Amino acid sequence: MELTESKAGISRRGLLQFAIGSAVAVAAFGPGARIVMAQEGQVLKAINPAFNQDWSPLRGGGVPFRWNSFWNASAMYFNDKGEIQPYVLTEWAPNADFSVWTLKVSPDAKFADGSPITAADVKGSWELSSMPTTKNQRIDQVLSGVAGYAAVKDGTATDISGIVAGEGELVVTLAGPDPIFYQRLANHIAPIVKVSVARGADGNEVADWFLGANGATSGPFMMESADLDSGAVVWVPNPNFFGPAPKLARIELTAVEDNVTATEMLKSGKYQAHTELVTSTIVLDLGADFAAGPTIPTSQHFWFNASRAPMDDPKVREALILAVDRDGLIKASFPDGPHQKTDTVMNSVPGEDDASFTPFPYDPEAAKAALAASTYGGPEKLPKLMFVGISSPANEAAAQYIAEQWRQVLGISAVDMKPQQDQYSGPDQNAIQIFRDDVGTRVPDAASYLAGSIASGSGNAQGKMGGYKNDAVDALIAEALALPADDPNRSAKAQEAQRIFRDDFMFIPWYKQTMSRWATANVSGMEKNLDWQVFAPWNVSIS
Amino acid sequence: MFAHILRRLIVWVPSVLLVMLGVYALAFYGAGDPIKLIFLRAPGDVAYDPVKIEAIRAEAGLDRPFLVQFFSYIWNLMQGNFGNSLTSGRSVWAMVSAAAPVSAALGLMTIVVTALVAVPLGMIAGMRQNSRLDYFILGTAVALWAIPAYVAGPLLMVLLLMILPDGAVPYGWGGIFSVKILLPLIVLSFQPIALILRQTRAAVIEVLSEDYVRTARAKGVPEHMVALRHILRPVLTPVVTQLGLIMITIVNGAIFVELVFGLPGLGRLTVQALINNDYPVILAVTLIGSFLVMASNLLVDLLYPLLDPRAADVKGS
Repeated sequence: MELTESKAGISRRGLLQFAIGSAVAVAAFGPGARIVMAQEGQVLKAINPAFNQDWSPLRGGGVPFRWNSFWNASAMYFNDKGEIQPYVLTEWAPNADFSVWTLKVSPDAKFADGSPITAADVKGSWELSSMPTTKNQRIDQVLSGVAGYAAVKDGTATDISGIVAGEGELVVTLAGPDPIFYQRLANHIAPIVKVSVARGADGNEVADWFLGANGATSGPFMMESADLDSGAVVWVPNPNFFGPAPKLARIELTAVEDNVTATEMLKSGKYQAHTELVTSTIVLDLGADFAAGPTIPTSQHFWFNASRAPMDDPKVREALILAVDRDGLIKASFPDGPHQKTDTVMNSVPGEDDASFTPFPYDPEAAKAALAASTYGGPEKLPKLMFVGISSPANEAAAQYIAEQWRQVLGISAVDMKPQQDQYSGPDQNAIQIFRDDVGTRVPDAASYLAGSIASGSGNAQGKMGGYKNDAVDALIAEALALPADDPNRSAKAQEAQRIFRDDFMFIPWYKQTMSRWATANVSGMEKNLDWQVFAPWNVSIS
Repeated sequence: MFAHILRRLIVWVPSVLLVMLGVYALAFYGAGDPIKLIFLRAPGDVAYDPVKIEAIRAEAGLDRPFLVQFFSYIWNLMQGNFGNSLTSGRSVWAMVSAAAPVSAALGLMTIVVTALVAVPLGMIAGMRQNSRLDYFILGTAVALWAIPAYVAGPLLMVLLLMILPDGAVPYGWGGIFSVKILLPLIVLSFQPIALILRQTRAAVIEVLSEDYVRTARAKGVPEHMVALRHILRPVLTPVVTQLGLIMITIVNGAIFVELVFGLPGLGRLTVQALINNDYPVILAVTLIGSFLVMASNLLVDLLYPLLDPRAADVKGS
């Protein structure tokens, strides 16, 4: 024994035991201790489907946008019933013709660093979101009607001349009357940020201003850290939040790109929420509670490009629509929900129920007759039919179901489908006839819904429908948009426009979207609104 | 030695410039527009505004002619400026310098594990040729070879998530001394182990019939000394070459494993950049990948003389 002892009196075995013991202690009480500390209070562990490199709250879209309400306050917001709620702005009033709006800033509103939110911050945030280099995907929906917005959007100005910031209030002058302008502000597309931090002298966004705890945001939580390379983002409560105190002590977001892994992690209980998990078996895998939520004014359809053969023949379009059993279509794509079949373009807005609207029937005989009456006379001479936007398992299931129906009913066998337009090669890129995509609005308004989906000026009509234009539809939508929000004729005219559009056979209706909670049953308060945001993030808690 | 490294670098620079020109041309003239994609890939209520798109394009300098853009990029690169990502605005250097060490560490650990497992097993299988043990080792190697990483990864992950309590499966990246590296390492090592094992076995069988092995045995040298001194050294030369190639493949392309196990490596970064047509990131990854190929080949070259003195003589001459 003496032979193995060192001069210090410690044996080799003892030294080895000490080393192993130290390693175990470091493993247990080193990094492990931090985990225990983090577990004090309620910690929401959530999964993000991507390693997002850009967490700016000013992008107006993308995956990070779904978390905006947790760490950013907006001008106003809608609750899950579509009722508008004050937030940074507490009052809004139009002039007689709805062309000038006076907006009051809450005197209690503060940034996370404790400084007050001023009218200049609101104006500056909107201008910053409008700058082209900010790349906000949806700022048009908020500010396109404001005088002077176009110059900022095009990069020729940095100041929106139609917005004047005063002491505690803003006066906004619109390019034309808009009775629902106040509703367009109630979202997180352009949240309110501290302009002195977020905006540089050139009017553009300061790089990475939003990363880390700098106090320049205004929501119930604030970003504590963001490791973009490992996909980990952490938020903690904002001590200076001017609304109700958040119930969660911490939110930890981890990037898990693989949907199968993410689903298993949620099932195991290691994580409780997901940013956006879209699979055909979501209800089967994680239960109805996980995917439940209100329907929002967004719907998914298959749009026909009427400028391209054979969709330039209305009889072909009619045949293709009538040949699809849409009850079977929804069963093939979302057999257990959460989304619901729809017959109409617009959904989940006042006026969506239109007793006079005739849904497209499933009528194989009428479909065959329509194809026979077309200039093509039958399936043999039809060019190849190409889908685009088939980018998820549910999309694939739906598109394949439609193709199979066309084969069985009409004898059409030349059908192709791809996720993106640039995946078609050569002339096919400019011959795609069927576009799967959603349309919708961030305001509970039928006229706005149709203005963004079937009016000739909409991106949907110009792009996916190949320059669709029906003067009667355009006129009705324009008339509806000019009416006050509470005028029943506003919805009635929109309904009439939709009925006329229906008879042009331009789309296969698919489903109206449910805005899922994407949270396990033990998480409450994760309900979202039509802006795709958790509308009261301070209420989120874990039982 | 220094002259050899210098010669390699001199050859590498023009070849990598040529590769980058080709990659840039493919990204520039090929399908897809990074600025349009920012808007086109978003759901349908996004306003696609050509005027705004062009304003963003001009700001990013993407409205200039191809060669002007390319040489401007090279000029900036020579000053150490990799530019910013077109889609996220992040510094490309920050992105690549965060991802490359992960991939390099993963690749290095994989070849270490592969070498430690496959070479001894290959030696045993070769020296016990046609025995039950040989068949067992070879059979296992063939079975591992048949499981691609994109099957083994998700299956292992899902299996462990179902077995372990509270989903306590290590996920993400915590460095080479973290338990998180175990699963990706196992999955990544499957095929290289099978490859190196088979190669080692074949080489051992060949070397066993050499005169110097017979002589050593005849002299009464113990079997383990014969294996280590007379058989292993000639076997290792082609194995090291193969390990270098494996490392390059893993560093540049462990895409599925990175995706399944949440590893922020070069493979994932490359795929994302390709999907978004993010030129600056694509070019930076090409540059780094090319450098790694050269560095790996150089490392193998430097190892040869240590394994086989004849290689040093050839280089010296």
